This record gives sequence, C-alpha cells and structure tokens, in this order.
Amino acid sequence: MNTLTSVARYQWTNRLGLVILPWAILALDFLIAVMIVGSLPAGHGQPRYAGALASIYVVLLVVGAGTIAQQLPFALALGVSRRSFYAGTALLALAVAAVYGLGLTLLQLIERGTGGWGLNMHFFRVPYLLSGPWYVTWLTSFVGLALMLAWGMWFGIIYRRWNLVGLLSFIAVQALAVTAVLLVIGGANAWHSVGHFFTTLTIEGLTGLLAALTVVLLAGGYATVRRLTV
Amino acid sequence: MTPAISAAELTRRYRGQLALDHVTFDLEPGSITGLLGRNGAGKTTLLRILAGHEFASAGTVTVLGGSPVENETILRQMVFVREDQTYPDLKVGQAVQVASWFYPNWSHDLAGALLEEFNLPVNRKVRKLSRGMRSALGIVIGLAARAEVTLFDEPYAGLDPVSRQLFYDRLLADYAEYPRTMLLSTHLIDEAAGLFERVVVIDRGRIVLNSAADDLRGAATSVSGPAIAVAEFTTGRPVWNRRRIASQESAVVAGTLNETDRARAAALHLRLEPLTLQEVVVQVAGAPAASQQERTSA
Repeated sequence: MNTLTSVARYQWTNRLGLVILPWAILALDFLIAVMIVGSLPAGHGQPRYAGALASIYVVLLVVGAGTIAQQLPFALALGVSRRSFYAGTALLALAVAAVYGLGLTLLQLIERGTGGWGLNMHFFRVPYLLSGPWYVTWLTSFVGLALMLAWGMWFGIIYRRWNLVGLLSFIAVQALAVTAVLLVIGGANAWHSVGHFFTTLTIEGLTGLLAALTVVLLAGGYATVRRLTV
Repeated sequence: MTPAISAAELTRRYRGQLALDHVTFDLEPGSITGLLGRNGAGKTTLLRILAGHEFASAGTVTVLGGSPVENETILRQMVFVREDQTYPDLKVGQAVQVASWFYPNWSHDLAGALLEEFNLPVNRKVRKLSRGMRSALGIVIGLAARAEVTLFDEPYAGLDPVSRQLFYDRLLADYAEYPRTMLLSTHLIDEAAGLFERVVVIDRGRIVLNSAADDLRGAATSVSGPAIAVAEFTTGRPVWNRRRIASQESAVVAGTLNETDRARAAALHLRLEPLTLQEVVVQVAGAPAASQQERTSA
C-alpha cells in the first residue's frame, strides 16, 4: 500500500479526535441553542441567529494540532519520513474537511426545509458567510475547515519541536505579522480602499482568499516539519 | 561488501555538550551488533541519527547505501522502536495493526505468536501498559516488521527474565530464517552476549571498542594470586586494573594469553579467569577519560 494512504489510515484511527469530538461538541451547542432560542418569545418572523457553528472550526484547530503532536513519533518509529507523514496527514485533513463541509451543507438544507427547525433558528445559516447556494456553502465550509486543520497542524509541529516556548513565540509572530499589516495599511492611509475591498468582496472571493491562506499554512507546515526531531 | 550501516566522523553537539564525538564505524549486512555503554554515553542519540529521527551536527551516516534523512526508500526498510517510544491513543492490537501497514514483509503469524507469548492484552490501551509490557510491544513490532535494518533501543527495559529469554530465542530463530542487520543497545550485556556477533562500546560520545564478539571473549584475563607473583607475571603487559588486598593481588591483563603464558601462570600459582563480555565492557567504558586511548588499541 502507498505510504501516504497508510499514513492517512493511521491518522483515521484517531476517531475520538477526528469524528467524535467535533460532532459531539457541535451537537451539544446545537441543543443548547435550541433550548435558548426555544425559550425566547417568538419574534415576528425575524431570523434568530445562534452563532455556535464556530465551535466545530475551533475544535478542528485543536484536533489538527493533535494529528502531529500525538501521532508523529510512532509513525517515525515505523520508518515514515516526515514529508510523507505530513503529506498523508494533509490529504486526510482535506478529505475530512470536504466530507464535513458537505455534512454542514446538508444540515443547512434541512434547516432551510424545516423553517429553522420550527423555531426560525439560524444555526447552520450564517449571514454573508454561509447563505448562498448549497455548493457555495459546501465550498466555503470545506475551505474554512481545511484552513483550521492546516493551521492546527502547523501549531502541532511547532509544539512538538519547540514546546511551549515555541508555541508562544509562534503565536506572537502571527500577532506581530497582523499588527504589521494593520500599521502598513494605516501608514499608507489605505483604510478606505481596504474597507471598500472587503465590503465589495463576494463570498466566492473570500473563499478564494481563505483557500490561498490554507495553501500558505500547508506550505509553512511542510517546510517546518522537515526540521522536526523526536 | 557495502556496509549496511556506516558512520564517518559523526558528531552531534547539543548546547554545551558533545553527545557524539567523531564516531566512525561500519556494520556488515546480516549481522547482530550490540551497542553498549553507560547511561548518557550517546547510544540513543546514535540510534536516533541512524534512524533519521535526529540530525547530525557534522559527519555522515549511511544506511543501506544512502543517507537515511528523509529518504523514503531507505526509511521504508527500517524500524526503530525506542525504549521511551510514545504511542498515540491506541489499543495494543491497533498499534500492531498500524505497524503492519508500513512493512511489506510484515509477518502476521510472528506478531500473533509474540503477542500471545508475551501475554499482551490486545484490547488494552497502550498507555495503560506497564513498562515491561510496553517494551514487549516494541519487540513485537520490531521483530514482526522484518525490516532490513532493525534498531532496538533498550528493548527489554522492565521485562521479566522469562520474557527476556523469549526475546532472545525468538530473535535468533527469526534472524536465522530472515537474516537482516540488527543493532541493539542494552545494559544486560552478559545475558545478551550470545546474540552479538559484534560489539560496539560507546563512552562519552566516542567509540571505545568495536570488535567481533568472539575476539572479545578472552581478550582480557583476570590474574590473581600472591602480589609478588602477579607483579612478576604482569611485567611488560598492558594492565587494565589492579586490586590488592593484603598480600593478594588481582590484575586484569589485556590481550590473549598463549600456552607459554598459561604454563608460567600455573608455575607461579596464579589463577587465570577470562573476563566475560560484561567485565570487558565495564573495564573499557568505566575507565577515566585520560587512559581511554590506549584501551581502544587493546
């Protein structure tokens, strides 16, 4: 069997992290949202937003870190190269993101079909982000989930290699990078055009930007994993 | 013959510490080598670099004809289960199954037999295993993989004597059927002595002994008896160690003794005892750094 598929299969043994945790937490959040929204007085046909869909994205960030930090040493013991390990893991992450994105899309269809679960609740529909046709919702969800996994994987590599100090430095570097971008925009008096860019940005355009960012994150992880030692 | 494993001037520096200091050695394919040395001598670092888990600061490592670092074709023919191996959240049976996916020559029969013989509970989580059981799991994976180059780091830490004997027997039986290059580090030298065709002793990051195991048996002899007689016998010979209690003395003489030497010892009423492999290693690796150079030549 191909090494990459073996790695993906190996990662898939981690059902708790990859399957149970994200969906169980999402289900719990959904139940809480139903209870809260259900207890509120009916709002004359106004949509009621839950906003808890973000939980699955956050969980996958943490799970992504675990796919490296917890799974890598055993794979290296079995003669898997770091590159193969990373590539196989990334393949599985993309597959997981695609399937879970489809799952979220189906749930959104049900939500639409049932009038927001009979409560006019918007749990799987998010204004602007997830409100277009089903295939755009799927694409955006796929890219968003893949981004979180890829980001988490990079965190996992940094933690495995440089521990807590490295993790904190990595977060600091990212914060500094964002600050630098903001300062550059401010310095160039470009806030107006930035605002214009984002207000006119379509969801398809945003999805494209996120996809590009995902590629950057994957490339960064790939470059870092080669320096990892166990 | 191209060596299966080869290191040349291999050096690994950590902050302010030299873990490996210009290590050079070759291992023939199809041999079992014992990697011996004290705690912190550099055994695990050496194995990790051979397996591509760690990088060398200087020097080269060649495994099966190429550098193992990120070299897919070479790594696929290697297995290295460490003493402190961390496993993900898996059951014993799952861990063995995962390992089987990565080795074309994996023997399910051998893995099954070993699991049973070591009494490993396949449904228990690996992290719930005792130290000895975790070692046994590492042995199961290391042997059943039938990898061209098999590295073991302290494979029987925490294992009971019955299991250790089982490991020696199984290893030799499987090795006879499927010869491969094995390198294993251990502290239980005399117990494992029967396995080794070659012995490499490392101390403070340097190779202090690299010799065929057969040459080491009788490579040094303990001579004991009246101090005057010992002194007479040992004159002009390299002596590793002397111990004196009252008028009795015991000295370790390096080098093999011939018939004349033995006859002379008998005439002087001296007792001759060949050093065991373990005693040789203790002599070589336990020496102060200054006197080590001459010992390597012995």
